[in-house]
Amino acid sequence: MARTRTTKKLAQRIDLNYFKRPTGLKRAKFWFSVGLPAFVLVWIAWHGFAGDSRVYSSGRMSAAHAVLEAECAACHVRTAGAFSAKASDAACLACHDGPMHHATQTNTLGCASCHTEHRGRVNIVAAKNQSCAQCHGDLKASGGAGARYATHIESFEYGHPEFAVLRDEARNPGTIRVNHAIHMKAIRPGPNGPNVQLACGDCHQTGGAAASAEWKYGDAKYVAGGSSYSTPDEVVAVKSEGLTRPTPTSGRELMAPVKFATACAGCHSLSFDKRFDEGVPHDKPEVVHAFLEKKFGEYIAAHPAELREVRDPGRDLTGRPVQAAVRMYTAKEWVATRTADAEELLWRKTCKQCHALASGAGEGRLPVVEAARTTVTWMPHARFDHDAHRGFACEGCHEKALSSTERGDVLLPGIAVCKTCHAPGAGHAESRCFECHTYHDWSKRKDVAPTFVLPALRTGGR
Amino acid sequence: MRIDKTQRGWAIASLILMAAFTVVYVAYALRAPEGPRGGSALGLTFGVIGFGFMIFAALLGARKRVPTWRLGRAQGWMRGHLWLGLLSLPVILFHGGFHFGGALTSVLMWLLTITVVSGVFGAALQHFVPRVMTTDVKLETIYDEIGNVQRLLREEADRGVEAICGPLGIGKSTKEDVQRAGGFAATRAMAMAGGSGAAVAVAAETAVLTEEERAPLRKFYLSEMRPFLERPKENRGRLRDADKAHGAFAGLRTLMPASAEATLQDLEEICDEARQLLRQEQLHHLLHGWLLVHIPISLALILLGAVHAVMALRY
Repeated sequence: MARTRTTKKLAQRIDLNYFKRPTGLKRAKFWFSVGLPAFVLVWIAWHGFAGDSRVYSSGRMSAAHAVLEAECAACHVRTAGAFSAKASDAACLACHDGPMHHATQTNTLGCASCHTEHRGRVNIVAAKNQSCAQCHGDLKASGGAGARYATHIESFEYGHPEFAVLRDEARNPGTIRVNHAIHMKAIRPGPNGPNVQLACGDCHQTGGAAASAEWKYGDAKYVAGGSSYSTPDEVVAVKSEGLTRPTPTSGRELMAPVKFATACAGCHSLSFDKRFDEGVPHDKPEVVHAFLEKKFGEYIAAHPAELREVRDPGRDLTGRPVQAAVRMYTAKEWVATRTADAEELLWRKTCKQCHALASGAGEGRLPVVEAARTTVTWMPHARFDHDAHRGFACEGCHEKALSSTERGDVLLPGIAVCKTCHAPGAGHAESRCFECHTYHDWSKRKDVAPTFVLPALRTGGR
Repeated sequence: MRIDKTQRGWAIASLILMAAFTVVYVAYALRAPEGPRGGSALGLTFGVIGFGFMIFAALLGARKRVPTWRLGRAQGWMRGHLWLGLLSLPVILFHGGFHFGGALTSVLMWLLTITVVSGVFGAALQHFVPRVMTTDVKLETIYDEIGNVQRLLREEADRGVEAICGPLGIGKSTKEDVQRAGGFAATRAMAMAGGSGAAVAVAAETAVLTEEERAPLRKFYLSEMRPFLERPKENRGRLRDADKAHGAFAGLRTLMPASAEATLQDLEEICDEARQLLRQEQLHHLLHGWLLVHIPISLALILLGAVHAVMALRY
């Protein structure tokens, strides 16, 4: 007979007090439920008793502040008797001043509204576009100078206008008559020389690189000779409204003004008379005039026979015969005549080829050369680093340089060229505002008293 | 609790809430100058809502401890636990702007993630483990009593074998145990022993076999079946597998006289029940084992969450 399962018999084998005896699973659940919370409480209490507040940190400090990671109190200053120990602007300003953007701005932003800490080892200077757009997104509403600037800029991609110098058909204020198109084609520098193809770098170098550059078309004599005019006189002053860069610059960011000695002298000779191989100095007319008088004076002293000038027989321009004639000069007359001839050549042709000359006044009536007015800083409210872009061919961005024939042409590439690379997302270069602009007016920076002492800071003290 | 049509209301409400939170978060994240932060007004709001959901989910444990509380139906609490607990993870991610932050906040985020994932895992198990239990464990008993029933089965088997093979030299159980062993083969053993109260007594099946006849059964029982009944979990013999066990008993039947058939039948049934109880234990561990992770971690989460809330207000 087989086994029979009845409800009664099934019930008989159950211990009615079974629920009073915890099973292994229940016991484990209980002890885990007690043990783990107890463990985390001990963990947090241990940090509390040890005075280590780092456990409450909402994230790692930025790279700049990483050394303060164990020094919560450096920023989280607690007022006596108060529970709160929130980081305040005063804590930031205790170490570094942060001058305001513009004196006219109406809303004052706290440090943390742009520079957020505890976001990991990030560059805390790299503020988000939204930080700038708080005001520039609606500049008029923010009390900004809306009439002078674009009023709705959200980012480089949205709302940023074309560069100011390219708007409204602006012209290059420079006075040097340079035809880029001719210079970018193969040219013959001399009557018997071979064709040469100039590269942009043969004339243009950044400020930091100019001193050490090898100038293929320069002239050592002119480089060594110097000049009586100074470069700052020739450069257009920058109106940056004080928004200068916070850190020292490398000097390689901007192109240095093109100089005759290094870029032009190799081809553009300043010769003034067939008796001399050398040219006049590339300098003010007064200096050139003095040079000519000196040179001719020295020459005639060494060659007095040339005071007797013999005019060969021949015909004049109308075809009438001209008799042979002899003229005797004094040394002074000869120098004055030769100097006048040379200056005629220089002022009317050689110098005028590139420079704008105005009629002079006073004794000798030497002309006045207009200042070159070279623009070095095309974007006074932004920064651009040519050195950072040295891997790219100049004409890739300055495309207009290949065809420009007028000195007034602005050869700065437009914003669209920048956007080719500078755009959001992977595979693109940084395009946030801080890449080109600075917020703080570092010209108004104040010094601060030292706050920390080494090695105490690294060993837990202040 | 199964996620079925009865959960539609909660599911829709949760989806609407989630969509609303997402819209608010995206708008906030796009406009926040330095990105979403837990300390901002909206970040704090998300934090409070998320922690509120967690507290509600945790209160299910208290509600279970005191079932007499008239605070809504247990089913409603369970559904709230499921859906609001699930929502708490994205809401807290919105709170922190998807940053895990420092030591405490990272621990909290991991605890929350593990709690929610283990909860989802547990809810998923509810969908198929009970069905497997019904199919595989027809002789299911109360989980807490599995060990006891296994012991009774072993004693029942001992008595059954001793009834036809003579004493096995194994310790005897008490009368109470014998009675609790159920109305199965135990009734025959009791009848043979002349005990009273037996529901059924079949004297013909109690004949003791000769030495030669009982040898195969005795050997099989002592070397295979009893070790299996004693330690079913550790045993790796053929009796753990239903088909192999059936084959083993079929082979044994060819060696035993017909008079032992009823006992062999009983023994096979005992093996089958023991195997099912083992399976029940495994399925029970699967069905409830995740709670070993879910409950302790959620308790730790609530505790540390409270610490975080207080300290975040400070810093």
